[in-house]
Amino acid sequence: MVATLDLDDMQGLITRGYSTLRWASFLMLSITDPAGARAALGQLTPRVTSGRAEPSDTAVNLAFTADGMRLLGLETPGPEGFPEEFVSGMTDPDRSRFLGDTGENAPRYWRWGGPATPPVHAVALLYARDEPGLGRLEAEVRQVALATGSLAEVVRLGTAELTEREPFGFRDGISQPLIEGLPKATAAGAGSAAGGEVVKAGEFVLGYPNEYGLLTDRPLLPPPHDTAGLLPRVPGGTGADLGHNGSYLVFRQLRQDVEAFWGYLDEATRRPDGSGDPDARDALAARMVGRWPGGAPLVHAPLRDDPALATDNDFGYFATDRDGLRCPLGAHVRRANPRDSLDPRPGSAESVAIGRRHRLLRRGRAYADGGPGGGTERGLHFLCLNANISRQFEFIQHTWLNNPNFNGLYDSPDPLVAPRRNHRSTFTEQAEPLRTRRLDLPQFVSVRGGAYFFLPGLRALRFLCTATGEGGQR
Amino acid sequence: MPHQSAVTVLATVPPDRVDDVREVLNEANRQGAGEVFRFAEVAGVHFARLVLVPQGPDSTGTLLPPSVVYMSEVDVPPSVHLADLVRRAGDELDKVFAYCDGYPAGGASEGERVAWLRSHRVPCAAFYVNTVGRGRQQMLNEARLREAIEDFLDRHRAELSASSPTRIRAAVQEYVTGREDLAWARSRPASPALRWRIRQAAHLLGVPLGGLVLLPFLVIGLPVWAVLLRWRERRDVPSRERPDRDHVRELASYEDFAAQNPFTAVGAVKPGRFRRGTLTAILFVVDYGVRHFFKRGNLAGVKTIHFARWLFIDGKRRVIFASNYDGSLESYMDDFIDKVAWGLNAVFSNGLGYPRTRWLVLDGAKDELAFKHYLRSHQLPTQVWYSAYDTLTTHNLRTNARVRAGLFGTLSPAETEAWLALL
Repeated sequence: MVATLDLDDMQGLITRGYSTLRWASFLMLSITDPAGARAALGQLTPRVTSGRAEPSDTAVNLAFTADGMRLLGLETPGPEGFPEEFVSGMTDPDRSRFLGDTGENAPRYWRWGGPATPPVHAVALLYARDEPGLGRLEAEVRQVALATGSLAEVVRLGTAELTEREPFGFRDGISQPLIEGLPKATAAGAGSAAGGEVVKAGEFVLGYPNEYGLLTDRPLLPPPHDTAGLLPRVPGGTGADLGHNGSYLVFRQLRQDVEAFWGYLDEATRRPDGSGDPDARDALAARMVGRWPGGAPLVHAPLRDDPALATDNDFGYFATDRDGLRCPLGAHVRRANPRDSLDPRPGSAESVAIGRRHRLLRRGRAYADGGPGGGTERGLHFLCLNANISRQFEFIQHTWLNNPNFNGLYDSPDPLVAPRRNHRSTFTEQAEPLRTRRLDLPQFVSVRGGAYFFLPGLRALRFLCTATGEGGQR
Repeated sequence: MPHQSAVTVLATVPPDRVDDVREVLNEANRQGAGEVFRFAEVAGVHFARLVLVPQGPDSTGTLLPPSVVYMSEVDVPPSVHLADLVRRAGDELDKVFAYCDGYPAGGASEGERVAWLRSHRVPCAAFYVNTVGRGRQQMLNEARLREAIEDFLDRHRAELSASSPTRIRAAVQEYVTGREDLAWARSRPASPALRWRIRQAAHLLGVPLGGLVLLPFLVIGLPVWAVLLRWRERRDVPSRERPDRDHVRELASYEDFAAQNPFTAVGAVKPGRFRRGTLTAILFVVDYGVRHFFKRGNLAGVKTIHFARWLFIDGKRRVIFASNYDGSLESYMDDFIDKVAWGLNAVFSNGLGYPRTRWLVLDGAKDELAFKHYLRSHQLPTQVWYSAYDTLTTHNLRTNARVRAGLFGTLSPAETEAWLALL
């Protein structure tokens, strides 16, 4: 049974990535005066974009960290509350170890979200059709949110104009799960190639059945809360459902060392006489990624890029490329979405079904900032939405991307995005008769900031801004 | 050649001394379990751990005493292992067990300590070994062999990659043959001792024969048991407990340092003889299954477990489950739910508070979050843990063994290609 989605109560970022709004910025906010912040956020709430209609000119979405929720007057409501990973946050030391945020990735070096910078309590996600439009939107939001001084701007994260390519030069965002119940998913239908991408709404939105047919844990408030009845009630109970139509937003600023990446590839593929070999360089890059810069998957285009396959997403690994001869076993896309290669029965529908419990709605945007010393820092503001951070984002990060033993490999974390830590990092290109090993891979991506946010439904947002305080509000 | 044994030593700790023991374990953790207890020097240790089982109620609310538990997976007979351990790390063991009743500390002979440890051994109700007969030394040797071959291939890739698979393999053979330190690789790993294999075979046949004798009783008894079971399943109350935050944080502080993790959990058996009897019977079947059928790297679809054991403590009122597995707890629990929920249910549904099952094996762990909360709530911090090969997964160990097995001897061209693909 397909659940009916309450699109009017969801924030728009869940249902779409706003691809027509090519300019975006993210304002990280700190709450200095909770009562005033509630009022300011309450004024902003009518501007928040819902999931119903595609916005034509601008979009605004709001999300809160666990500390932000607390400051808004919502003490973690006992056992029926938020999951541990959200409450303790992305920078908890044990979580940092788990996520690979150690060494140069450690939160103490972060630009924002770490212990050395002001606390982040909320984020305003702003989208506009063009640059002037974004400027106007920012001014408007700042006017509402910051005027009274009860919210402070910790940092503004700008983005580059949205293109199909991420900073290393690869087409990005090709494989994206479709939320069951949305028109796109219905159109894709079951059985078709895209049908395999349809995932239960409960994997991304709280309050709907997930891939186990169950409701993911979500914050429920016992009776003294919400006497005004702003929130939906828990079916068969008296509690108010703060989580309904909400989601968790994982936000990580990932710096991409574009020069180091292509420089490494140049060096690694030089001919014996020392001259560069651009074809070999691009081929090695493609094997690390698992797709060509143009997007064609190596499983279908093992030898050269093929523009006709730029958005090809209709493939598995088991039948065509079990041994990684086309797309190496350690390639980035093979880890981020192993498709049909998962145990216990690779190649089966059951294998794909297990994979569906580890999917993310990616909503990232690339950035290019003027860094210190005039250089330009490039990278990705990685944003993704999921209902269960530990089973989805953290699992993918730890068990697939950063795992040096993924797919039976040795010393081989993700060649593209993983931290190197103290591992010897190896990238192996499987081949017949003999593989090629690339030893001591440098690190190309580092973490510059991050936080876990709760992206509430619109009713929950209104509740947070108006109903939780005991007074002192306007 | 070894077969792996599970060693468990359990001793009650006076409640007012629990904090002292915890401090001893924490100190050992800070210094490194391997350094403190010198496990690398103790013959044939794969994994070892020390945990505190806290004071806790049984299903009727009666408090059961706290205890400290030593567990290891070794290639030698348990009594030999304990003697070896006392020889290497006697002083450290003294600190751990000093507060336990009757422990012969302070000038006692090694023999007295070993005797005390042996008298506190607890047998396993069931013990799973990923690959029976693959000893620690063999694993470490095979890992070294693979690395040597990989390095050789890296150095000679340019000239070799133009050769045929058969020639490449011949070059590798020649290289390994020239390495004195890899001479062992020319022969096959030895099998476990004949006496042990005969005992296993007798067990393999004896159990079904015994079952045949009992068959008339089973035919009558099973339907009655099933009705009683179903009646109880409807009445049992699943726990709605969520793991305490501080508890989860403590658990997390010991996890995800290596390719593997330890898992240790304790739980009370549901009240009454029915559940105790059912669990005893189920674990008997599990033991039979893992001894004879699931001994080649695959526990009913889960391939990432190195070792696992189930044992009764406190007069069968509580059960300990302990394992060593690859990856994170989240991935481990997902494997349980996705691949072997029925098996988990059959055992753990006899434990107090487990998510509701139907007919012993249905539902239960399929209630994802209830199951995960249950496991986390019952999990114990493994303060002291040692792994002899902490960067190698079961998948790696299996590949290493296959590299060695296919290195010499006759292979067809297709087999030769498959062998090269392992590297």
